[in-house]
Amino acid sequence: MEQSTSGTVATPASRPDYDMDIVKKFFTATVVWGIVGMLVGVVIALQLAWRPANLGLPWTTFGRLRPLHTNAVVFAFGGNVVFTGIYHSMQRLLKTRMWNDTLSRIHFWGWQLIIVAAAVTLPLGLTQSKEYAELIWPIDVAITLVWVVFAVNFFATVAIRKVEHMYVAIWFYMSFVITIAVLHIVNSLVIPATLFRSYPIYAGLTDALVQWWYGHNAVGFFLTTPFLGLMYYYLPRAADRPVYSYRLSIIHFWALVFLYIWAGPHHLLYSALPDWAQTLGMVFSIMLIAPSWGGMLNGLLTLKGAWDRVRTDPILKFMVVAVSFYGMSTFEGPMMSIRAVNGLAHYTNWVIGHVHSGALGWVGMISFGMLYWMVQNIWNRPLAYPSWASHHFWLATIGIVIYTVAMWAAGLMEGLQWRALDDAGRLANPIFLDITHRLNPFLWLRVVGGSMYLVGAVMMGINFWKTIRGPSAPAGARVEGV
Amino acid sequence: MSKETNRVLGHADESDGIEEYDNPLPDWWLGLFWFTIIWAFGYGIHYHFIANRSQESELAAEMAAADARWPTQAEAMAAALSEFAVTAEAVTAGEAIFTQYCVACHSADLSGGIGPSFLDEEWVHGGQAADILRTITEGVPDKGMVPWGGILSPEQINQVGAYVMSKHSEATGRSIEDIVAAGAPSA
Ligand code: HEC
Ligand code: HEM
Ligand code: HEM
Repeated sequence: MEQSTSGTVATPASRPDYDMDIVKKFFTATVVWGIVGMLVGVVIALQLAWRPANLGLPWTTFGRLRPLHTNAVVFAFGGNVVFTGIYHSMQRLLKTRMWNDTLSRIHFWGWQLIIVAAAVTLPLGLTQSKEYAELIWPIDVAITLVWVVFAVNFFATVAIRKVEHMYVAIWFYMSFVITIAVLHIVNSLVIPATLFRSYPIYAGLTDALVQWWYGHNAVGFFLTTPFLGLMYYYLPRAADRPVYSYRLSIIHFWALVFLYIWAGPHHLLYSALPDWAQTLGMVFSIMLIAPSWGGMLNGLLTLKGAWDRVRTDPILKFMVVAVSFYGMSTFEGPMMSIRAVNGLAHYTNWVIGHVHSGALGWVGMISFGMLYWMVQNIWNRPLAYPSWASHHFWLATIGIVIYTVAMWAAGLMEGLQWRALDDAGRLANPIFLDITHRLNPFLWLRVVGGSMYLVGAVMMGINFWKTIRGPSAPAGARVEGV
Repeated sequence: MSKETNRVLGHADESDGIEEYDNPLPDWWLGLFWFTIIWAFGYGIHYHFIANRSQESELAAEMAAADARWPTQAEAMAAALSEFAVTAEAVTAGEAIFTQYCVACHSADLSGGIGPSFLDEEWVHGGQAADILRTITEGVPDKGMVPWGGILSPEQINQVGAYVMSKHSEATGRSIEDIVAAGAPSA
């Protein structure tokens, strides 16, 4: 029984040939790690605004908790969201159960163990000191093995598919599986010295370039392409509308994956990197605007004709805001790649604002939309507290706005004050610390916005808990949209 | 977007019920894409081959503009040095500056900490007024002494220098005249 007429009809549970158990596992892990990662985000936001929150213990200082936050939200929350969506949608899109259930489970438990290992080692100060690749070499090896298990299972499932034409979401997932493997392995190549310590095989400038080729494409292929894949499946399903343009989806996919790979040097503008490489990073970033907006357009235009529902259905609201923030941050990013603009923005809180408009706005909101849609469909139950989904939406949206506006203001202020000169050509704000103190009101605003976002996520968690433990809908009945 | 057909492709059977329209690429989107591609080539060629720019040349241009606009530090220092005098007003003003900027490293009673004491006979970088003022202006970045020339005005440097010298004189008994005495700096 296909559900092409209504996006919220519950059927997957009645399709025994699909492995829904693995989807539920990843779903649960997503919600748990999401809340943990955002909680740590609020904690480090508080630490920057109010020093005593560092507690004076080495394990709880900002420097150690910051990588815990980034790893938890990107790889634990983001990773599990993507795996949840992939295991759910790819089985249905390819009309086949996953190739091997054991591999699926090795993937699941392996990934969770890696997260736990990260949560232990980072506060202990065991790190490789490369941003988003902090984990020490034994964990890196584990990531590689688990990824290979996932990739084998993924491509074997693609190989045994029962459809000929592969839907665009699958293309986005493929780019994720392949590229992340390459990025992770190349950037993590080290020579181990002890169990906890190693030396990178790259030195100096090469090391920096490899690191930001990795770092930028972690954004591109971990926080962007798989999430676009999720958008291409869950947005039309939830809206029950045809995708606006097949051609646009293909063109923007190939343009995006081709252009992204070259843009890494925009993280190293005005550095020892040769000028030509900096130019390359900058112009490829500018060329990324249209391919990125292709995804936004296809999302928004797919909702054309469903705008009446967008006003009332929190799931669609989450998705519209997500896609809009995606469009916004993929315009802001290219602007920040322009040499002169980067000279102002680099090292300031503006970058943090950009990061979180993408992370909270795009990654977070599309995930919430997907999870609310999914919980009702895979557990075959209506939401326990439908109105909470709306409250969550508003808390999150207002929270993001407060967070990002505060960071833009803080970033512009510090960037301008650092460079300001007085009439005699001396620094107008010679004491760096003075500027840092002036940031404090903005840092407190971020604590407020981030807390709102976190509270929304916790409400979602409680809502899901109650929903899953609540009574299921009568067989064949339509689960009401929230 | 006027060319929208909104005709479904009929793939739904192969994509879990999701239909796709065969709408063309929006014109403005395609225009934007071409514009950024052409701009990218234009910018790269202009930057590297026509304007022959580089970050070194950007820096040099900025420094030249600054030099033209503001007298160089050496000139400003020489000008300030000729006006230097240890007066009561200068010492009072200097104390305030010292309290704000210097105590963290030289301590409130000038007995030293991260930086050396000013209450003994020893001067690492010379003990004549010209030496002391130069050390304050240019700093010793390698050792952690800040080059204050970019932060304090020449007048303020004179003032804080006067304060340091008067305290040094009080503690060691060396006369102000001897410190300020003209002639070659001692180091
Ligand atoms: C961040 C710490 C720091 C601050 C702040 C600082 N200094 Fe210093 N200062 C040093 C250090 C370290 C040295 C020793 C440099 C060396 O050994 O070559 C030094 C050396 C000096 C000397 C030379 C002493 C000698 O023996 O030749 C003078 C004079 C001086 N400082 C004056 C000042 C004044 C005036 C201020 C405030 C406007 C100031 N310093 C602020 C760290 C500091
Ligand atoms: C409750 C919500 C959140 C809060 C309060 C929060 C707070 C913070 C803070 C305070 C920092 C450090 C900023 C600095 O060093 O100046 C940070 C960094 C970061 N956060 Fe979050 N965060 C939240 C959610 C998220 C989510 C959901 C993601 C990703 C999906 C994310 C991704 C990142 C990344 C990638 C960085 C590093 C940025 C950089 O190095 O430029 N955050 N966050
Ligand atoms: C076309 C798209 C984009 C471009 C060209 C772009 C460009 C940039 C630039 C120029 C920086 C600042 C580098 C610096 O000065 O330090 C940056 C930082 C960052 N961006 Fe983007 N961005 C894009 C989209 C996104 C999206 C959608 C996300 C999140 C989902 C994101 C996440 C980040 C992160 C995490 C950083 C911080 C890296 C660090 O730790 O320093 N970006 N981006």
